[in-house]
This record gives sequence, structure tokens and C-alpha cells, in this order.
Amino acid sequence: MSDAEGQRLVTLLADMQEAEALELARRMLDAGFDPVKLLGLCREAMAIVGARYEAQEYFLTELMLAGEMLTEIGAMAKPLIGQARDAGTAAAAPVKVVIGTVHGDLHDIGKNIVTFMLDINGYEVVDLGVNVPSKAFIDAVREHHPAVVGLSGFLTLAFDAMKDTIDAFRTAGVREDFRVMIGGGQVDERVMKFAGADGFGQNAVEAVSLCDGWTGRARHAG
Amino acid sequence: MIARPVTVIGERINPGFRSVEPFFAGRDFAGLQALARRQAEAGAAWLNINASQYAQRDPGLMVDIVRAVQQVVDTPLSLDSPDPQVQQACLQACDAVRAGGRKPIINSLTEARWPMAALLDRHPAKIMIMASERLQGGELVRNTTAVEVHETARRLVQRLTAEHGVARDDIIVDIAITNLAADTEGLVPVAIESVRLIGGDADLAGVHLCGGLSNISQDLPARTRSGVMLKDAIENAFLTLTVPAGLDMVIGTPWKPYRLLAADDPLLQEFREILLCPRREALRRIIRLQRS
Repeated sequence: MSDAEGQRLVTLLADMQEAEALELARRMLDAGFDPVKLLGLCREAMAIVGARYEAQEYFLTELMLAGEMLTEIGAMAKPLIGQARDAGTAAAAPVKVVIGTVHGDLHDIGKNIVTFMLDINGYEVVDLGVNVPSKAFIDAVREHHPAVVGLSGFLTLAFDAMKDTIDAFRTAGVREDFRVMIGGGQVDERVMKFAGADGFGQNAVEAVSLCDGWTGRARHAG
Repeated sequence: MIARPVTVIGERINPGFRSVEPFFAGRDFAGLQALARRQAEAGAAWLNINASQYAQRDPGLMVDIVRAVQQVVDTPLSLDSPDPQVQQACLQACDAVRAGGRKPIINSLTEARWPMAALLDRHPAKIMIMASERLQGGELVRNTTAVEVHETARRLVQRLTAEHGVARDDIIVDIAITNLAADTEGLVPVAIESVRLIGGDADLAGVHLCGGLSNISQDLPARTRSGVMLKDAIENAFLTLTVPAGLDMVIGTPWKPYRLLAADDPLLQEFREILLCPRREALRRIIRLQRS
């Protein structure tokens, strides 16, 4: 399998050539291309899409469509990864992120986009849903040992709930076990400091960058 | 003034707008006053005041903005805060005489925040109710069908009438307009259907129907590549499908050219089809529009 074909897949995905990209991915997997490598190419494409989004060359629509394409390719590739691993290909254990919309807030669009983007960027995301009580977050971090916890909220009330949740982490003695990022609506540095979080993101691309920075994952813009 | 298909509650005093955020960051009341004046001159019937994250650190900020804005315009205000204490303080600060007796809007009441309705017993005000969420067995639940939105609206209107004697004309139902590009659950069609159900319900006659119209086109480019105003067109397509069914107010930008599109407008046709498309096809079509 040629590198040229892999590069072509990255280009097709980054350029939103949906039908051609999905067909090529299917063909590569059928021909025995390493599914872990293929997902790596998808991440490379996603980094390009993210950069174009930040440059305002792409918009939310392209971000969402890229996500849809990668979900489909993920569905093709993931069942093959077990087989590949058995055949001796090493795949690193995924980094976990626990995410949820804080209590009192039902907004989930932003959270869902972040979940989606983290997932296709190779993170294992535990999504606790909306209106999540502090206790449910604490139970989840004890069970899953995430590297990052993402607190989402759109309402101004959510900023209090973010602070409550992070205070509860402290009381439970788990605050130092992971980084906390917040996002949704109009979070900024001021809200981050108020809530006691480690970082904030204005969009899903920033959320992925934060996680990558904290977990030391290298990005290849391709 | 241009005839508009809807009453506009001016949305611009909100740090969520990139150009407005510095006024909040720098406590630039003169900047906010200029924005208030510009919206009033453009025909806003109310001015929404939302201090978002800035209200967090500074609980008195909303009141300060209310006073500053009322110094320069007589447009009544829409007080956008989920906090009953902030609402109370802002209602007290509102100068009814200055607003020519036109009532401010409490924005907004939800079933989970019901005690806030008691403010209506003490202050003459209109009330915005959010029909997009409900309480079920003490739990906060999101409404994802038009029938649920309609039922919540019926219940809240009935309670406002029975418990607080609120007149229909003082009730505004927010039907929750969501982002088209991120609409993985088909909530834009739900909003349209909700307007039809609530607008067609004789028991709810007289209540106003409103939505945050700018949400629908958020994060899309303002123009297509050939220069067509894409956000405006999408917002107007939404209005075209909902105003005849009863939507009569929007939280929006008063200088935007809100209008109903002709029945054979190609963009209206495209918008209708996008609403019916499977998800990926819908995204492809919006991207095609962006690049057209």
C-alpha cells in the first residue's frame, strides 16, 4: 500500500470530498491497510480541518461533516483493530476524558461537538450527559481515571455549577488527579479562574488542543 | 422605518458578540450606551441586556447597565438573567416612566425556576417563558419534540394565568431556535412545528411567540463566495416558515433586513429541503450554499 494513497486520503478528507474519501478508506482497509495507521491519517486530516476552521476558511458545517466522515471511517476501521493488534501491531491505550454539562444546564450541542471531536481524535470519551450532579462526576472519575475532565455549560448559572463541581473534586480529594477544562457559551479566562479550572476552550478545536497539550500528544498538521 | 414581519428585541448588549465583549471587559458604559442608541434607532422594540459571564464577578453590573442604557434611550428592556435576585434588582432599577409605561421583559422563566414568577406579583412586567425544557418527576428534561414544547407552553401559560393572573399579551413563549449546522437532533424542524402547534392552539391565543433567531445561522459565513448574504437568507427563510404560523417576535439584530421570502425564492426551497434531508446530505447542501 503506497504512502501516496494515504496522502490522497488525507487530502480528500481535508477537502470534504466525502464520497471519494469514504470509498478510498474502504478500499484501503479491504486491501489490508493497517486500520490504526488509517485512523492516524484521519487525525492528520482533522488537524488540517481544524487549522482551516481557525483560519475561518472552514465553518462549523465543515467541522461537522468531517466528524461525520470520520465516524463512518472509524466504524469501518475499529472492528479491524482488534485483529490487527492480535497480529502484533501496537496501539497505544487511549487517553480518557470524562465530559458532561454541569447541573442546572441542559445545553448539549457544544458538549456533543467536543465529545465527537475528541473521539475522532483518538480519545476515549465518557459522556455523562446533561444536568450532571457533582457526585456523578466524582463517581465517574473514580471509575474511569481520566486524564482530563470537561465541564460544559451555556447558562451563566452554569459558571456557579462549574465552580461547585470543581470544589467538590477538591473536597473528594481527586482534584489533582486530572486537568479540568471548561467550555460552552461564553467561558473565558475570568470564568476559568472563578471556577478553578485549568483551561477553557471557545470551540471544539481548542478543546482538542488543550487535551493534546496536557497529555503530550504530538499533532501533525500534515 | 422599514416594515418588519416581526417585533425585534435587540440582542446586541451581550458579551457573546466579539465586537461587544471589549465594552464589558473595559466596563465601557459609553460603548454600551452607543449600542443601545443604535439598536433603538434601528427600531428595536425592547433591548435585551445580557451580561453573561461578567455578571458572575459583578452582581451589580446588570443594574448598572440598566441605568446607563435608560439614560440614553426610552426603549423598554428585556432583562436576560436566570438569577431571581438579579431580576429583582433590575426590575427595581427600571424606570417605567422613562420607558413610557412600556413594561420590561423578565427573560426568562422556566418550569425549574418557577419561583421567579412571583416577581410578576410585585413588578409590572412581561415574561418570557422557555418552552424547551420541563420538569418531570423533579428532574430537568429537555424537550425534543414539538408536542413536548407545546405541552410545556400550555402548562406554563395556564399556571401564569391561574397563579399570577398574567394577561396573555404579557406572555412571550421562547420556542428555542437552535443552530442549523450543529442540529444533529432535528431541533430546527421541531422549532418550526412548535410554532405551528402553539400558534394554532386557540387556548393560547394572544400569547406571543419568540425565538433567538441569530442562533440558527451562528458560525456560518455571513456571505456565500459570490456575495449572497447567507446568514440573513437562512434567518429570513426561517421567518418565512414561522411568521405565518404565529411567530411574532425575535431576539435579533434590529438593523438586519428581516423579511419574508417569496414562495418561489430558491433559497427558501433549499432551506425546506435541507430541513428534510438526512444529516450528512444537509451538511453537504449547506456547504454547497456557502461555496456558491
